[in-house]
Amino acid sequence: MSAPSAVLRVHPATGDTLLAWITTTDHKKIGILYGTTAFGFFMAAGLLALVMRAELAVPGIQLLGEQGYNSLFTIHGTAMMLLFATPMVSAFANYLVPLQVGAADMVFPRLNALSYWLFLFGGLIIFSGFLVASGAADIGWTGYPPNSTLPYSTTTGTDLWIVGLMLTGVASIFGAVNFLSTAITRRAPGMSMLRVPPFTWTIIVTSVLILYAFPAITAALAMLLIERRFGGAFFDPARGGDPILWQHLFWFFGHPEVYIIALPFFGVISEVIPVFSRKPLFGYRAVILSTIFIGAYSMSVWAHHMFTTGAVNNAFFSITSFIIAVPTGVKFFNWIATMMRGRLTFPTTMLWAVGFLFTFLLGGITGVIVASPPLDYQFQDTYFVVAHIHNVLVGGAIYGMWAGITFWFPKFTGRLLPERLAKTHFWLWTIGFVVTFLPQYQLGAWGMPRRYVDYPANPGWSELNLISSIGAVLIALSVLAFLGAVVVALRRPADAANDPWGGNTLEWWTTSPPPHHNYRSLPPIRSERPVFDARVAAARAAEPTPGVTGER
Amino acid sequence: MTRSRPRVTRTAASIGLLCLAVAGCLPAPVTREGRDVASLYTVFLVAAAVVAAIVLGLTTFAVLRYRRRRDDTELPEQIEGNLRLELIWTGLPILTVIGLFLITFGVLNRVDAVSAGAATADGTGPVDVRVTAFRWGWRFEYPTAGVRVEGIGDPGPEVVVPLNQPIRVTLTSVDVVHAFFVPQFLFKRDAIPGRDNHFEFQVDTPGTYRGQCAEFCGVYHSRMYFSVRAVAQPEYAAWLASQRSASPAVVAPAPSSPGALPASNPASGNPQSSGAPASGAPASGAPSSAPAS
Repeated sequence: MSAPSAVLRVHPATGDTLLAWITTTDHKKIGILYGTTAFGFFMAAGLLALVMRAELAVPGIQLLGEQGYNSLFTIHGTAMMLLFATPMVSAFANYLVPLQVGAADMVFPRLNALSYWLFLFGGLIIFSGFLVASGAADIGWTGYPPNSTLPYSTTTGTDLWIVGLMLTGVASIFGAVNFLSTAITRRAPGMSMLRVPPFTWTIIVTSVLILYAFPAITAALAMLLIERRFGGAFFDPARGGDPILWQHLFWFFGHPEVYIIALPFFGVISEVIPVFSRKPLFGYRAVILSTIFIGAYSMSVWAHHMFTTGAVNNAFFSITSFIIAVPTGVKFFNWIATMMRGRLTFPTTMLWAVGFLFTFLLGGITGVIVASPPLDYQFQDTYFVVAHIHNVLVGGAIYGMWAGITFWFPKFTGRLLPERLAKTHFWLWTIGFVVTFLPQYQLGAWGMPRRYVDYPANPGWSELNLISSIGAVLIALSVLAFLGAVVVALRRPADAANDPWGGNTLEWWTTSPPPHHNYRSLPPIRSERPVFDARVAAARAAEPTPGVTGER
Repeated sequence: MTRSRPRVTRTAASIGLLCLAVAGCLPAPVTREGRDVASLYTVFLVAAAVVAAIVLGLTTFAVLRYRRRRDDTELPEQIEGNLRLELIWTGLPILTVIGLFLITFGVLNRVDAVSAGAATADGTGPVDVRVTAFRWGWRFEYPTAGVRVEGIGDPGPEVVVPLNQPIRVTLTSVDVVHAFFVPQFLFKRDAIPGRDNHFEFQVDTPGTYRGQCAEFCGVYHSRMYFSVRAVAQPEYAAWLASQRSASPAVVAPAPSSPGALPASNPASGNPQSSGAPASGAPASGAPSSAPAS
């Protein structure tokens, strides 16, 4: 640390700190803003889910009535998908992509800041529907017209939903432009495309997907707004429109959206398992190729959400949906092969990664089941599909997110999470996840439709619904354990080492947290694991006899 | 190390069983098509159990076998990959999903098939039923017999169909998207305004089967029921006759010209005029089988 920089470091007043955060264009600060805001929306949407599970715990209508319940699941789904999961991807990408490629910042730092503020206000606009007298949007997160058009959904909350989503959609597009250009053009010398870390690779593919998918939904939302408020007739059959048009546009966005969320967290798993197995990612190239393949292929499966419409070629979309399971299966085997013959350690991050393998596998398998149209005829729009999407997104993507948060927390904050509380979080969450969502498969197979405020007291239905509601409480408790762990960690001094885990990628080379422009020096980059290579080289230099045996 | 092997096998087996248990059992099918779907589901469940046993078995094995021992600081062998292994675990899933698709394709064609041939009033050929969904109820019309059954809410209208005879449904909606779903038929199809959907089923077990709307359609989505009673041919004929005498006003069946919206659109423009009360729940338990007049 040179003397002049110490002189410049004046202790800032609270107002200055606030102003610094509001005006920041630093990718790490924007990443933190993205992450904490997305986490806030996660807790809000989680509260909505708790109220829903309370309503469904026993048959009958107890809490909110039909209209209120419809708003709950609409905003729960919308917020979880588009105000939590997608921006959480942006949070990780913002913080990590410049670090992982050895760059000082994003290519377009101001666009990056704009993207965050559009997201924040878009989200607030969607939630502001709860302040409108007639309530928040009540159309489901899928917003199918004609039910979402004006004669049928009369609340202004629906218009706020449309406008808010358009803003967050534009935010995602700006973010994607930034991630893509940074990952491609700001790579450090030596980092060829096949030395880019797996997480950043998934962000590259996800960004391309965003650039294809989000314009479709933004256009569809514009049409819906025009139809509702300005006399358009895109979806009204009586005036020459077609309700199916929305479904095509929505799912042309909606299915890639699942991969936009899932791929980056697969990337996290591909980072974490090698570190805690102390081995390279088995078949790095195959994993990258499968990511590209999933991305490209995910544009061709959208109408499997429309098997029961009778308006699409079910056989075609069935075979494409079956085939997209293959590259994901390939990743599974690569992850397992990475662990084989490794030296596995199990800090909380690795628990999340192994938990991911268990829970996400079930989601993948039930995905293959609903890819078969005759089976989907039974499961479509039932709790089987509800269980499946939560199995994929919670059991898959969100396990990956927790793995990522616990893994990079020392890098983000300079502090390690207390392991005991973090493990409590993992086990409570996992038990809660199983108890909440597994009963929903059976409920759906029996024929309980989703988006029902009430259900008949058929044999078994009340019991399974009650069990599912108890599981939701466990999930909520686990999040409290996580918050407790964060509070405990933040009260400690920021003394985490640069590389507490024995990491592979460049971010572990710099301090925790990194300085303003990230790096004062970089190690030579000769593989996808430059920091591992540097550690081995240092160990070899330190000892005259080879200290790292077993390496060939 | 060797001690953990039987444990691994046991774990894998119990995980396989668990998967069979958790994915859920279907209701007992009561239609010809439903039986086809149920056996397809069994094939998928067995395949799922095998895949889960292999993958989770391997994961469990890796986790138990390759934990780092306490004093072990050695770096393991740095294996970058193995092309042959990777080709195998790409090829096997491809073969599996192609197999599953081929089985699916056969069932799909049978379930989606709609028989040709004219409907007859005497009940030898397929029975045509035109089903119209609206917020928040159902209308069933038998054009050949000139019978119409309509109702809202819970329990909703009840229709009667003959056993072991193809029931050919033309499904549409007059307002928003709904879905015709009878869980015990293992089948649903969307009712979309401006569009006719065609499907067919053949009930082979006598009984009354509840159906419901499965596509979110607004405030009373969860109160949009109907039931299908499957009876022998003579009883079905008697029911048709009783419906006809109960509703002498129905002389001409509603024309089922494709795409045309019925003239007596119960929800045209205003969702609150659909017969459901403007506030409060639809009257449950009220007589719901209301022949149109």
